[in-house]
This record gives sequence, structure tokens and C-alpha cells, in this order.
Amino acid sequence: MGTVHARSLDPLPMHGPDLGLHPDDAELVEAEPETKQEVLENKDVIVQRVHIDGLGRTKEDLLGYEIADVFMAKNLIDVMKKSHEAREKLLRLGIFRKVEVVIDTAEGEDALPNGLDVTFEVTELRRLTGSYNTMVGNNEGSMVLGVKLPNIFGRAEKLTFQFSYGTKETSYGLSFFKPQLGHFDRNICVNLYKVTGQFPWSSLRETDRGIATEFNFPIWKTNHTLKWEGVWRELGCLARTASFAVREESGHSLKSSLSHAMVIDTRNSAILPRRGALFRINQELAGYTGGDASFLKEDFEIQLNRRLFWDSVLSASLWGGMILPVGDKPASIADRSYINKVNVINGESDIYLEQFAVTGDYLGGEAYWAGGLHLYTPLPFRPGRGGFGDLFRTHFFLNAGNLCNLNYGEGPRAHLQKLAEYIRWSYGAGIVLRLGNIARLELNYCIPMGVQIGDRICDGVQFGAGIRFL
Amino acid sequence: MSLAAEAFVSQIAAAEPWPENAALFQPLKDDQVLLSDCASSLAVQAYLRMCNLPVQVCCRANAEHMSPSGKVPFIHVGNQVVSELGPIVQFTKAKVVGCVSGQGLSNGPLSCKRHLQHCAEGSAVFLQGHSLSDGLDDVQRAEMKAYMELVNNMLLTAELYIQWCDEATAAQITRPRYSSPYPWPLNHILAYQKQWEVRRKMSAIGWAGKSLEQVYEDVSQCCQALSQRLGTQQYFFNKQPTELDALVFGHLFTILTTQLTSDELSDKIKSYSNLLSFCRRIEHNYFQEHERPGLDPLSIRPSLM
Repeated sequence: MGTVHARSLDPLPMHGPDLGLHPDDAELVEAEPETKQEVLENKDVIVQRVHIDGLGRTKEDLLGYEIADVFMAKNLIDVMKKSHEAREKLLRLGIFRKVEVVIDTAEGEDALPNGLDVTFEVTELRRLTGSYNTMVGNNEGSMVLGVKLPNIFGRAEKLTFQFSYGTKETSYGLSFFKPQLGHFDRNICVNLYKVTGQFPWSSLRETDRGIATEFNFPIWKTNHTLKWEGVWRELGCLARTASFAVREESGHSLKSSLSHAMVIDTRNSAILPRRGALFRINQELAGYTGGDASFLKEDFEIQLNRRLFWDSVLSASLWGGMILPVGDKPASIADRSYINKVNVINGESDIYLEQFAVTGDYLGGEAYWAGGLHLYTPLPFRPGRGGFGDLFRTHFFLNAGNLCNLNYGEGPRAHLQKLAEYIRWSYGAGIVLRLGNIARLELNYCIPMGVQIGDRICDGVQFGAGIRFL
Repeated sequence: MSLAAEAFVSQIAAAEPWPENAALFQPLKDDQVLLSDCASSLAVQAYLRMCNLPVQVCCRANAEHMSPSGKVPFIHVGNQVVSELGPIVQFTKAKVVGCVSGQGLSNGPLSCKRHLQHCAEGSAVFLQGHSLSDGLDDVQRAEMKAYMELVNNMLLTAELYIQWCDEATAAQITRPRYSSPYPWPLNHILAYQKQWEVRRKMSAIGWAGKSLEQVYEDVSQCCQALSQRLGTQQYFFNKQPTELDALVFGHLFTILTTQLTSDELSDKIKSYSNLLSFCRRIEHNYFQEHERPGLDPLSIRPSLM
């Protein structure tokens, strides 16, 4: 006790780590170890048991695949690393709200001296989660109600339902997702949906009711998607003044298409990436599995990002694609105008995506290309650095592109020449705001060049929001 | 577009003469068009021929969806699109084509070119819209409108009833024809959707509870009223045809020449001989005498002659 007194008189420990400890406790802690403690860091260990606590409806066979690697660990560092990986895998399944890992020495009768028990303490997501959003965009305000049933059958299946009630249109979608056991990247997704959109630049209203089945799987470093889609499309005119070319396209059609997409994505983020590249190629064949729309569609997208000085990023992208009608019927406007749809509200690229009928409705093109060069830099003088300010970027851009119709008699060389002639291009600068990891908002000043007769020009200040950008 | 703006646009359009490339759109003639649509289309064609306005008949599978009101037929004149008989009559009234020259009222089977020649000859010229009912007084005009309502409410509704509410006709004729341009399974979806729509309309106007016999009886009464009004006259209002004549001809002629599951409907009309000769007269005067390129004769349909 003498020593204790001596220590308590010492003024220095006042700043020490064991400030809150009662002197008696400090003594106990000091007195106990020595005999049992071992340094396990470099020694071989055996993971004897892995527990998962907190399971409710989740089936254990699903988790067996995800945590199997933990048993392979040979030393403590390895155990920690593998456990961490297993935790990431469990979280990725999207069925747990929280996963905590506890590593302890093995206990019980058959416990080995170098045996370890790993315990994952998980908290499952609720059976039913709901969400409520309001959205404004596309000349319409809407209310989106979402219901999600994660882990509905206990093997990471997911059922989601979204219902959007707008001032003009109502849309809904039901989707079922099922991953393969042990290979989360290999999954099947079935969608049922009804989507209605109004496209004022075409005076067109489109209602799609469809079913899509998707099979996703990775091969080496690429991700593939095989998809069958059956869509009943209803086109109508938005106004009495719609051009007759659009009016002629009104009515019902059925598209049944098989498509394949391959993606290589090494970017660090989908929105405003700092490094990495993206390559996406998509082909769609419609008409051989039924329906009355038949065409072959090819698309590609390349994006390269390179980090330069002072946190600035140079990003270059190129898109291109074409649609070849199969048979005598020309491709419907619903298939052609896709070029515009992918980039719906992005004002800066509007100028080259417009091609007009006599009275000025956008009819879409059969072949297109578009390229963009962006330089993203942090805001000048970096206000709000390390926090809110990092969501913003200034950017300088140069975009170019063209689209044309293919008249199949002329051969590919003539078409390439046509795409190279009269290129629409624009340049400008603006501010980009990143919204989460899915969308971005832009405020730009844009100067269009090489505008063709009939193009709708959006020069000056523009505001845009979107998910996919050049 | 607001009503005022629409009225303004049609006024502007009225300043232009009737173009050569005016077109009338209707569903596919052989495989798709239904009794009621065919009747409405024929009524408009008859009306335009009576006005001597040339029109090209175009058959499109999606005519119904191209129409601004969702009903066939519709005409495409210049950059104007107008559907159904009533609005088309209004539209042609506003169109400035007819001329009144020093040689008197030039109405009837004169071509536009001859009108223009009259104008060029320097005679006193003023312009006037196309109208068949201008010669009528207010009482007659009201009477004409009443009879047109009768035809629309009785004959057209009866045609729709027989097409969509009589299960035998719907299954054997209407649904297969209506859905013929579409691939499976869209054909079934669209046909049943349309049937449901028409049946809902029928119950809204109180026809859903009617039996087929009652509908035939209604048609018979309607024909009796028309037959009495026509009497021994050439047209409903004496020598000059009006839009009522076009409408009645469109419906009666189509019913007489269309093969349905039973002949009962056409038999009802055949018992009124003056209506039969009325149909023959219009067919003869407007669909055979005036054969000109660009005009579509009724060659597909069997003639009543």
C-alpha cells in the first residue's frame, strides 16, 4: 500500500492515461497478467469456431460461403485481415445493418492452446423498409414511395417496389433480385415496370410497360449483363401542334429484345472520379423473339480520367452508337431517340443531339457520336476545404458530336464522312455539385459552335442535373 | 392549348386555300377497320365530296392513335389535323376556297382551278367558306342538328353495341379485326382494353342492360324517323345535300354493305325503300360520277347498284 500512496502523491499521473482509474483497480490490473499473456502475432493460430450472433431469418448456408475464408487464416494478422474481408462481404449482401467482429481465444473442452474463436455480431435489417421522396424534374413534380423487403427468403433476395405519383404521370416498378450463393456478383434480377415520360422536345409522350430479366456475371475483370426485355410501348402526341412526323409514330408497339452489355470499370467513383477508366459496350437485338420492333443497336462508352497537379482531374470521354433497322420498317422514334434520352437534361450537350422535323420536333438519329474533354479543379481559393467545399468542382469543358440518319445504299465510308461533317461543338465553364455517389448538378456557361440549321441552341447559362454525363 | 388559342389557329389556317395534298386517315381497309369507324370515315368522305374538296384516303394501322381525339377518321390539311365529322364541318366552313363571282354563286362540281379562273377574269369576287348548310334557315338548321344527334346517338351507338357488347360478333369479327396489326400478346391486351372501354361507355349511357333485340328495335325506330323525314325528297333538305345527308349515308351504306354475324341489322334498313334509294343516289352522285384521280372510289365495297 505504501507504493500506492507514493504514486498518488506523484503529480505526474494526473495527465496520464489511467486518470479515471481508482488506485485499487490500477493495482489489480497490474497484478494479474504476466503468466497467461502470450504474444500471438507471429505464432500459428487455428480458427476453431466462427459464431454469427444475431441471426433471425437469414439462412446459415448463405453465410457459410461468405465467412469460409476466415478458417484458412494461419496467424493472427491473417485472422484479422480475413475477418475484416468477411465483414465487408457480409455488409455487401445488403441484409445487415451492422456487423461487428470479436476475436477471442478458444474456450471449451476441446480448445487448443493456439485456438481462436471469431464472433460476428450482426444486426439484420428490418423485414420491410420504406422510403418517401419528392422529385422535381422533366417539367414535372412527383412523389416517390418505395417499399423494400431485404432478405425476403433469407438468402439475400431482395424485393423492391417503387411508386411514383407525379403531377402529370404515374409510374411504378417492381423488382426481384437474387444472387447466387457464395457469388454475390452472379445474380438474377427480374423487373416489372410501367414508366411514363413526356419529351417536350419531341412533342412526344411515351408509356412503357415491360418486363425485363437480367443475368449479371463477372468474367475476369469484366462485368457482363445478359438481358431479355419485353416492352409494350405506347406513343402519343403531347399537343395538337405536334409535327406530323411524330404523329405518324403514335400508337402501340411491342419490343422484345435480347441484349448484352460488357463493362470494365476501374474508376474510384461513378460521379466525378479522380482516376481510372470506364469502358462499356452494349448491343441489343430486337425482333427475333417476338414483337414488331426489329433492329440491331450498338453502343459504346469510353471514359478516361487522369489526375493532374493541385487535385485537378482531366477527364476524356467518347460515346458512339448506331441503330440498324432489320427488315423494311424504319426504326421507331422510341428506339431512335434513345440518344437524347441518356443525356436528357444535360444542357451542355444539348446542341448536337438535336435533329428536327419540319416543325421542329426532335426525331432522333440513327448513328451518333459524342466526345467530351473536361478539366475538373477544386473551387478557387478552396472554401470549405475538407468538408462541404469538396462536393463542388469547377470544370472547363469542350464537347463535340454529331448524329445522322443512315441511308443504307451509301456504304459505311459515306456514313463516316457524314458523321465527320458539320460537327456540332461547344465549350464553356461551370460549377459541378456532387450529390451522393449517384448524381450531379451543374451550372454552366456554354458557348455552342458549329450549330446546324434546325438545331435547338442552348447557349448562355444553363442548369442541369443527371446521372450519366459525357 | 387553350380553346381560344385553338380557335385562333384555325382562323389563321382558314386563310389558306384547300391544298392538293389533303389526306384523310382511317384504319386499314381490308383487315382492320370496324363497322363504326368505317361508317364515320365514309360520312366524312361523302361530306368532303359534297363540298368538292379533294382528299386522299390513307390507311394506317395506327390511325386511331394518330388522331388528336383518339377517334377516326381525321384529316390532315396543310399543317392542321382535325378529327370527326363535326369539327371537320366547322373547319371547312372556315376554309376560304369558294368564290362568288359576277356569274352568280359558283357552287357544286366546279374544280378549284375554275374558281381561280373566275377570280382571274376580274369579275366581282369575294370569298366564302365551304358550307352545305348555309342555305338553310334557323329552324331547318336546328332540325338538321337534331337529326344528326339522333344518328350519332342511335345508329353509331348501336354499331358500337353490336361490335363490342354482342359476344358472338366481338369474338368472331371485332376483336380479331381490331387487333390484327399487333403481335401476340399485345393483340389480346389491346382488343380487351378497347372492349372494356366501350362497355364502360355503354353502361354510362344506360345501354349496358339492353338486349340485342332492343338495340335492333332502336335502330328500326331511328330508321323510321329518318325515313319519315326524308319522305320522297331527294335529300333531307330538298335538292341540296347537307352534312346530315353525308352522315346518314355513311352509316346506312356501311351497315348495308358490311357482312356481320347476322343480317338482322341491314334487314332493318332494307325495309325502308326510300332510305335505300337515298343511299344509291348519293353513291351514284358522289362516288361514281366524279371519278377523278386522287379520289378514292368505293370500289372495295360492293355497290348497291
